[in-house]
Amino acid sequence: MRDSASSPVSVIGLGNVLLGDDGFGSMTVEVFRCAYECGPEVEIIDLGTPGLDLAPFLYGRDVVVIVDAVAAEGQPGTVRTYAESELLDFRAQLRLTDHDPGLQECLAQLRLVGRGPSEVIVVGVIPERCAFGEGISRTVLAATPLAIDSIIRVLLERGLDCRKRPQPDRPKLWWIVNPKLEDGRAYADDAPLLTC
Amino acid sequence: MTQRITIDPITRIEGHLRIDVEVDGGSVQKAWASCTMWRGIENILKGRDPREGWVFAQRFCGVCTTVHAMASVRAVEDALQLEIPANAQYIRNLILIGHALHDHIVHFYHLSALDWVDITTIPKADPARAASIADGVSTWPGNSHRELAAVQDKVKGLISSGQLGIFSHGYWGHPAMRLSPEMNLLLFAHYLQALEFQRKSCQVVGILGGKTPHIQNLAVGGVMNAINLNSLATMNMDRLGTLQSLLQDLIPFVQQAYFLDACVLAASYPEWFRYGRGVTNYLAVPDLPVDAKATQFDLPGGVISNGNLASVRTISDWRDQPIRAAVAEDVTHAWYEGEGLQRPWKGKTDPNYTDFREDGKYSWVKAPRYDGAPMQVGPLSNVLVGYASGHLLTRKWTDLAFNRISAMDRGQVQIDDMQSTMGRYLARAIRSAMLSDLALKHWQLLTDNILKGDDATYNPPQFPQHEVVGVGMHEAPRGTLSHWVTVDKGTFSNYQAVVPTTWNASPRDENGVPGPYESSLLGNPVADPGQPLEVLRTVHSFDPCMACACHMLDANGRRIAKVKVL
Repeated sequence: MRDSASSPVSVIGLGNVLLGDDGFGSMTVEVFRCAYECGPEVEIIDLGTPGLDLAPFLYGRDVVVIVDAVAAEGQPGTVRTYAESELLDFRAQLRLTDHDPGLQECLAQLRLVGRGPSEVIVVGVIPERCAFGEGISRTVLAATPLAIDSIIRVLLERGLDCRKRPQPDRPKLWWIVNPKLEDGRAYADDAPLLTC
Repeated sequence: MTQRITIDPITRIEGHLRIDVEVDGGSVQKAWASCTMWRGIENILKGRDPREGWVFAQRFCGVCTTVHAMASVRAVEDALQLEIPANAQYIRNLILIGHALHDHIVHFYHLSALDWVDITTIPKADPARAASIADGVSTWPGNSHRELAAVQDKVKGLISSGQLGIFSHGYWGHPAMRLSPEMNLLLFAHYLQALEFQRKSCQVVGILGGKTPHIQNLAVGGVMNAINLNSLATMNMDRLGTLQSLLQDLIPFVQQAYFLDACVLAASYPEWFRYGRGVTNYLAVPDLPVDAKATQFDLPGGVISNGNLASVRTISDWRDQPIRAAVAEDVTHAWYEGEGLQRPWKGKTDPNYTDFREDGKYSWVKAPRYDGAPMQVGPLSNVLVGYASGHLLTRKWTDLAFNRISAMDRGQVQIDDMQSTMGRYLARAIRSAMLSDLALKHWQLLTDNILKGDDATYNPPQFPQHEVVGVGMHEAPRGTLSHWVTVDKGTFSNYQAVVPTTWNASPRDENGVPGPYESSLLGNPVADPGQPLEVLRTVHSFDPCMACACHMLDANGRRIAKVKVL
């Protein structure tokens, strides 16, 4: 059982794994978790697309690293690291459904009750395509090692322990193995590549 | 003069829900609900192993992960006529209750309260008076003078900084906002306190599900929780104790804060019992089975036609034949191929996109029909079906809500008034109060069963060599969810999910009959077309959840939604 209150540091993957490049965050944290070992103070978790349900995972944290696809200007596959002030504009949002990412709202709510994380860093990738069942594009898949390097850098700079596992686990990327879609797109065969 | 208002979330790359209304003489004359994102999820499941279907299904939707996982395993179990152990039923039920409480709390406070609560009046509130309003009505400790004064200080700080941030969405001071500063303070204090309880309900799901979101303990045939009272690593008395204390922390917030806040809202905005009636056919399926064979349920199911509660037809269990024959989907106005009503077991999900054409195709949501008629699903359907069939727990909390409202000296609310925008808010709170009672009951059922020496949690599935069909039903937070599967030689040959929001956000059908969102908006007042707050109130009363979010953060900080008035 994971106790969502126990770790002061979280590495969170966001995204819908069934929507192509949108699943980048979920995939990257899983590959990272299998290839690297961190201290008990670091929780590594894929949260999918939690909307406002992100709040419990930010509650009272010290450092939060979020890995996600970002809508930004630039070439698909570009990895950028954003400090909270660079990314988040707490501006007006009209919410019709509770599916919208919710990061801004969750942070603002938690800060108001004094339970917001001290620091939020977003490691973002610019996606190429986000369509149902199409898998992650090669361009974005190739950006995974860069994003993992960014996560490691963030952790090490903050004095946190993070080292390569002598025996890496095999990532559980169940959504990537699709018997119907073996047509040269990036799928299972590319996944082991990412564990190095 | 007729004005056309479009509310379209231009979220990141794709939006989800778009509402178009035509307003004339200050009220809505025509309405269209459109889901602007394709949901081709079912096609991904064809050809897969049914034992793993739930892992995919719980990624249908980022918010209601658990419910799809549950409907998926129930569908396969139904196809195989596989019974699951009693422990598995109770563990699943507790997960579903934990998830539902979480979902309802977040909906009320974080998704919709600010349609009714004007935080900019809070600096004018008298915290002592606010505390005295709650005194004698609620035992909730978070209503103290000290607590409320602290919340007021926070709001004052927020407003004086000039950075309202997420709270600056612009409907403050709207003429339709009518709570007193003290009521606004009280409700906003609970909005902030709710964050703590959102976390606790998440932990309930996490303890049983192994992880949340995306529980890991399910299996076709039961659950994978090992039960051994002598082992630290399994479900033991320690873990059951943790679970019980989480529930005991959570329940007072639901019954003494949330439930009463919904009564306050209902008493303060009684005119909203007159708007938003819409489709008055209601569907709810039974849930929370209390025995291994799923013959008895703690939440009743049934069908009500034309708003007539006396017409209720009970759905006594998931093997009910009429519902299996009644559900079909129409795609006349949805962006799919096909004609006429399609049974889910034969259903297809092949896209045929045109632009938004109000007389043609205009949504990615299909139009589900029950014996040809649109149905409203959700907590209101639960409460009406329960009330109509004399279900004691439903009666207890519904009558308590009506008594609370009349004690606030704002007139009488009758069960028929519930068929409205406000009724949907109140019904969700009634359901949450009921689920809180049931959480403790099912915790007790699980504990007693384990103490009796039963540690079974799983019956292995056997797949026949011929085609079998099944349907998995779950009464989810947003209403009736059903997954319809066809299994052939151990793989899915077809998969269709008829989700609650498909029922409620349904477009028109081949006869031009609109769905629940669309018809509930008719006659809805709109004071200022540039600030269609009243439209949002009715749409939010359904708790929209357009399945399958595409999730991207917007580094450019664009507005998430826009209102366009023509």
